[in-house]
Amino acid sequence: MTKGNDYGRVLGKVKSIQNAIFAAVSILVLSAVLIVTAVSMKYTRSSIFENSVVYTRTIIHQMNQNIDSYIDYMDNIASMLAESEDAQQYLFSEMEGGNARYRLHTEAESKEIRDRLLSQYTAILKGRDDIKNLGILRIGGNYLINEGTQHLNPNLDIRTQEWYQKAMECQEESGLTSSHVQHAIEGERPWVITLSRRIPNTLEHKGGNDGAFFIDLNYSAISELCDQNSIGEKGYVFILDEEGNVVYHPQQQQLYNELQTENIETVMNADSDTVLTDDGDNGKLYTLSRSERTGWTVVGCTNVAELMKRSKQAQSIYLLTTIVLVVVSLMLSSAIAKNITLPIQRLRDSMARVQEGDFEAADVEVVSENEIGSLTTSFNVMTHRIQELMEQNIYEQEEKRKSELKALQSQINPHFLYNTLDSIIWMAEGKKNEEVVLMTASLARLLRQSISNEDEVVSVGQEVEYARSYLTIQKMRYKDKLEFRIEVAPEISSVHIIKLVLQPIIENAIYHGLKYKESKGLLIIRGYAKENNAVLEIIDNGVGMSKETLDHIFEKHKVNYHSNGVGVYNVQKRLQLYYGNDYGIIYQSEKGKGTVATIHIPIPGKQEDGNEEA
Amino acid sequence: MKKHNQITEEHTAHGVRNPGRCKKWFLLIIVIVLAGVLCICGCWWGQKDSKDKWSLVYIPKTQDGTNDFWTSLISGAHMAAREYEVSLDIMAPEREQDVEKQNELLTQAIEEKPDAILISPSSFTASNELLEEAKKKGISITFVDSYTEENIQDLTVATDNLEVGRKLGKYVRQMMEPDTQIAVVSHVKGVSTAVERELGFREGLGDLSENIVEVMYCNSQYDKSYDLTMDLMEKYPNLQVIAGMNEYSSVGAARAVKDCGAENWIQVVGVDSSQEAVELMEQGVFRALVVQKAFKMGYVGVRETVRMLNGEAVDKDIDSGSELVTLENMYTSENEKLLFPFNSIRQE
Repeated sequence: MTKGNDYGRVLGKVKSIQNAIFAAVSILVLSAVLIVTAVSMKYTRSSIFENSVVYTRTIIHQMNQNIDSYIDYMDNIASMLAESEDAQQYLFSEMEGGNARYRLHTEAESKEIRDRLLSQYTAILKGRDDIKNLGILRIGGNYLINEGTQHLNPNLDIRTQEWYQKAMECQEESGLTSSHVQHAIEGERPWVITLSRRIPNTLEHKGGNDGAFFIDLNYSAISELCDQNSIGEKGYVFILDEEGNVVYHPQQQQLYNELQTENIETVMNADSDTVLTDDGDNGKLYTLSRSERTGWTVVGCTNVAELMKRSKQAQSIYLLTTIVLVVVSLMLSSAIAKNITLPIQRLRDSMARVQEGDFEAADVEVVSENEIGSLTTSFNVMTHRIQELMEQNIYEQEEKRKSELKALQSQINPHFLYNTLDSIIWMAEGKKNEEVVLMTASLARLLRQSISNEDEVVSVGQEVEYARSYLTIQKMRYKDKLEFRIEVAPEISSVHIIKLVLQPIIENAIYHGLKYKESKGLLIIRGYAKENNAVLEIIDNGVGMSKETLDHIFEKHKVNYHSNGVGVYNVQKRLQLYYGNDYGIIYQSEKGKGTVATIHIPIPGKQEDGNEEA
Repeated sequence: MKKHNQITEEHTAHGVRNPGRCKKWFLLIIVIVLAGVLCICGCWWGQKDSKDKWSLVYIPKTQDGTNDFWTSLISGAHMAAREYEVSLDIMAPEREQDVEKQNELLTQAIEEKPDAILISPSSFTASNELLEEAKKKGISITFVDSYTEENIQDLTVATDNLEVGRKLGKYVRQMMEPDTQIAVVSHVKGVSTAVERELGFREGLGDLSENIVEVMYCNSQYDKSYDLTMDLMEKYPNLQVIAGMNEYSSVGAARAVKDCGAENWIQVVGVDSSQEAVELMEQGVFRALVVQKAFKMGYVGVRETVRMLNGEAVDKDIDSGSELVTLENMYTSENEKLLFPFNSIRQE
């Protein structure tokens, strides 16, 4: 595996179907999630705002009703006390009509009336903490306040007081005076809300002025009513009267001391029942509810920043959910993409192996019955067919090679046989017994080796012995013309070599080199190991070859023509068929000096390492 | 041989590539999750603001139930402390003129090492060394109502006393004849408030300031003021105006005038209001009162001190304001708010 290939594969990953599916699903899911989030984020703000406005409005409306019913309740107490017979009797039984002074009751009777009233007042004061004062009075006449121990402020003209004026203006109902200081009672000046009623004189003898009933409310009940429902952490409720004066405010003391301000003008000028002041972060939301009964306005004030905080919380929850969703969807889409493309990838990997020629592990498991499943099945079938064909092909090639090899090596030069036999006959006729024996023995060895030996491969030692037999015969035939020497290193004698390699080359050297030499020729067979190869050299000092001859030495027809078949072409062809094109014969020759034929064959034990390095 | 080698290599390559991809995804997921967590954390963090609880000590001149000025001031200070969530200790001498006791309390307060001391010094000079020591210890000093000769404070919250005197002087000026005799009953000689009010009073009187026949000091005691006024009325039978310079002196003087039944020809004007002062005004003894905004002073004193400790920019000199109240306008809503403390809600 080369580096270039590696890059190609990485590039292939980027463009892979898995990534394409993953990208598509991710983009789809992501955009869906993001759009939903964006929309909900946008609407959260307004809807939370909307909700709190509605909620606050409900609460404020409820409070307004509560305050109305509270005032109604107090009004009932007021009317009950104001319209009582005892009050009438107490205020008007002692009247100055013109010059005369009427007294309706005796001292004891008066005291009884007073005691009855007092016990009533005391009972009410005890029962209700929110009533600061209550009492009846008539300017210039009797008065009775609380438990009867307190007195009217002697330095104050009660007629100047708003609550008194309001009582006198009203006929049947009570007058309501918002927050003010009650100056009428000697000794203390509390801030109160006053309900006051006119008490008309219904007794027989008319004359004099009307009386008044008043009930002073402190803020405990109203503050309780206003604080019972919280409208947010920083939200609060306050009440304004018709003129915009503060009736109740949780920070009334600070307001009165100029330490706080309230946007009263904004509230009083409001057209709708919600007003939003926009002061950046300090914006406030005012929710108004005006009461017909009291004329007061109950105002709920909420901090906009607080509302925003709530919407921010909601938004951060959305955001978190989005992130989780995105992560999950990314993982899911990755898983889906992987699931879909895994069989394809397996198929591809298997195809790559097949491409490399590996059919063994090519079978791909069929996981599902879908398109890819059938594709895989087809691929498997195809691979098996290819494998079969390949195997068949290899077998046929082998067979072909073998038969070719056989055909090549079976070609022994028959002329040599005839000539040798002729030589033997002549020698026998010349009674050269010894020579005949030697030549016949050599021929016999030669024939045994070439014909009777069925093996394709022999050892170098055997091959050299074969060459020796052949040379021995030729030496005897060419007597004074040929001398030979064999110098083969014993370490290569066991190396395997295809048979009939040396003999044709020697034959070639004799017939084309040494035969034409005037003087005696020498032929040397040298064998040694060089690096991982066994090298056999056939050296002759014959006439040599021209460059032209050398160039055409391996051509089939030429060699065939001269040497009846078994020739250099044959040997070269066989060597290369058997060992591959890296091996074979190399000829070196110089005209007039001789020829060297070098045969390279691999030494099997060392061959492997050499290949690894190559 | 060759084939086998290739297969092995291929397998190895796949084995390496797969974890690599997983790692990349893990990284991405972790980054996204981290970003999300950071986002949320940021949101929560932003909402949380840590606020140190400052400890404050206020040393008024006195804490006297009969004196509405100090009562109001202290309740204002308490309310601000509650609202701004700081601790506030009030350490007060029983009598206003007790300089020694006040210094003793100051020493004690310095030992407690609060973040800030608010003080209404009873003396113009006697607390200098102690205040300097407090300063050295890193305690912030806020002057409330009065100050000392040395500019040692970080903050002053007080009524503009020159203005108080000026208002009173102007009011007296418009109702007096050229030969009207005026007596001043002041509270403590040398104290900043007394000095400034008298100065302002003279300014308000303008050319008639020479009509002041005498200035007396009652040392912030009703009884002494009462006695001094009696003496004055005896000494100057033609006396027509008596001006008190604080609650003790004003009310003491008014009591004396009332007891003599002299309210018809002696006009009493004063500074600060109380329940009794209001009644005396209704009875026609007091013609006018310049009322300080005591509650506001106490509240602002604490609020600004806290803001200063928080490192916010604050004004170094804050005037809490004053109003002239007469019988004619005392029942208006504005003056009611000023004269009568609103404390009906949440009496804690």
